[in-house]
Amino acid sequence: MSRADIIDVTASSSPDLRAAREIPEGWISRLAGKAWSLLSGRYTGYLLVAPTVLFLAAWFLWPVLTMVYLSLTAHSVDGVMVEGFTLENYIRLFSSDLYFRILMRTIRIALMTSLFAALFAYPLAITIARGGPTLARLVTITILAPLLVNVVVRSYGWQTILNKTGALAWVLKLLGVSNPPVLLYTEWAVLIACVHVYLPFVVMPLAGAIGRIDRTVEEAARVAGATRFSVFLRVIFPLSLPGLAVGVSLVFSLSAAAYVTPQILGGNFSPLLGTLIEQQILTLNDWPFGAAISTLLIAMVLASNLIFLKLVSRRFARWTAGAR
Amino acid sequence: MNETVSPLLKVVVGIILLIVVAPLVVPLLMSISDTPFIVFPPQGFTLKWYGAVLANPEARASFLFSLELAAIVTGVSLLLGVPCAAGLTRFKLPGQDAILGLILSPLIVPLIVTGVALLQLFAMLGSRATLLQLVIGHTVVCLPYVIRSVSASLLLVNRNLEDAASVLGAPPHIVATRVIWPQVRPGILAGGIFSFIVSFDDYPISMWLADGNHFPVPLYLYTVIERSFDPSIAAIASLMIFFALLLVLVIEKVFGLSLARLAS
Repeated sequence: MSRADIIDVTASSSPDLRAAREIPEGWISRLAGKAWSLLSGRYTGYLLVAPTVLFLAAWFLWPVLTMVYLSLTAHSVDGVMVEGFTLENYIRLFSSDLYFRILMRTIRIALMTSLFAALFAYPLAITIARGGPTLARLVTITILAPLLVNVVVRSYGWQTILNKTGALAWVLKLLGVSNPPVLLYTEWAVLIACVHVYLPFVVMPLAGAIGRIDRTVEEAARVAGATRFSVFLRVIFPLSLPGLAVGVSLVFSLSAAAYVTPQILGGNFSPLLGTLIEQQILTLNDWPFGAAISTLLIAMVLASNLIFLKLVSRRFARWTAGAR
Repeated sequence: MNETVSPLLKVVVGIILLIVVAPLVVPLLMSISDTPFIVFPPQGFTLKWYGAVLANPEARASFLFSLELAAIVTGVSLLLGVPCAAGLTRFKLPGQDAILGLILSPLIVPLIVTGVALLQLFAMLGSRATLLQLVIGHTVVCLPYVIRSVSASLLLVNRNLEDAASVLGAPPHIVATRVIWPQVRPGILAGGIFSFIVSFDDYPISMWLADGNHFPVPLYLYTVIERSFDPSIAAIASLMIFFALLLVLVIEKVFGLSLARLAS
């Protein structure tokens, strides 16, 4: 019996399927169907995954590994590559006062961004997880919508606020501050804008973690006489740590590698590692050194993932072992 | 229920939300200021800066190029990502963890590093095809989002429905279009929208790979901020903010996806 016969038999017995058959099927759906029917072959899984894997191997893995390799080479003053491996680029990065200061500033700003983002994120996340549906939705949309606004625009927005003739100076003057400080082109400006840009990345996982906390645990603590603050400190905070770890590791990684925000708000006065990479490669054409800074940035991101995620999850398992 | 959110908390949240919105509202106010420089509070009212921006051929060229780039990147990401997600969720592949690790690693390595690594590779290969390079660079970053989103919806597909349809005699292409497609459509849509936004907004990859004839909007905005000081920058920024608001509306109303789901 051919396939067509099967269709005819069932089509007459099931009105639904007959309706389905009568709808003219375009070539796209036929093609999709053919593709789907192939999904029973032995190597089909690999065939489906192969294009993406090859694409990423060629255009992601290869270039990144080449760059790590490049960071271990050196070129002489006249730009000729020197044979063999060397750690010269890394030694230069850590021994030069200028570069070391930029490295420290990057770590400092990334850590402070994570800290302040976490501080602001808790009230927002608690409201999303525990507030009424309307309130939760309002907060969620207000937090997420800026993500759709380009980073350049958001950084520019802070420029218009922190400027000498900006909104903040105007507000401070109204409040009677005679000599308002100009924050633009300082580390503070970079920090403020970074917290604003990366805040959603810690609010969302945190809201998820708080939402998963059993409400009865909080109620039990309240009934037992705990104040709101101690409920937060001893119930919500410890139980939300896995979400906080995800968010903080994201914020640290993103702000350590930030380029646009520090450029627009820090000017030439407080460059971070991203700016240094750009200068070394586009201005000075020193590829091995630029590659070394890039490799260091990857190492920093991996280390932060390891510290925040692995360490916290282990601690967390120990802390909550008794509660389960 | 509401008792868990105290009035004090509500006030704190209100203040934080005001700060979150401020850098998006202030440029709007400044863009209508009838002064040749940026000043707060704005003085007078004019829409001439908007006219200036909309008439600017460079701004229009950048906008159109970014739309074109994002559309191509979305197409390529879906073309590669949807089959990949199907392969990952429907088959037990030895080495699946390694494959997943490779797919998600572009989200871990800083974008600025991925961009510089690609520039270095393209220079080594002697490539001059800027559009192709940008498409490749953006696709590397968009693929993880597409695959994650489509995989999530494929994992939720109810296999019993497929079996039922097959048993009742539906040929594979009917099963695909009438049983599987409706279930994975939101995931594919979300992945597509996300990759469009990621590509349209990308700066740290484009900054290495773009050139004067292929100049995406974020790079254009940056150069404008660097070199001019009149309220037309605020007007461009405002237009981008309106564009983002439009996107929120389209995502929520037309596609029926919630922003929160898209971001998770």
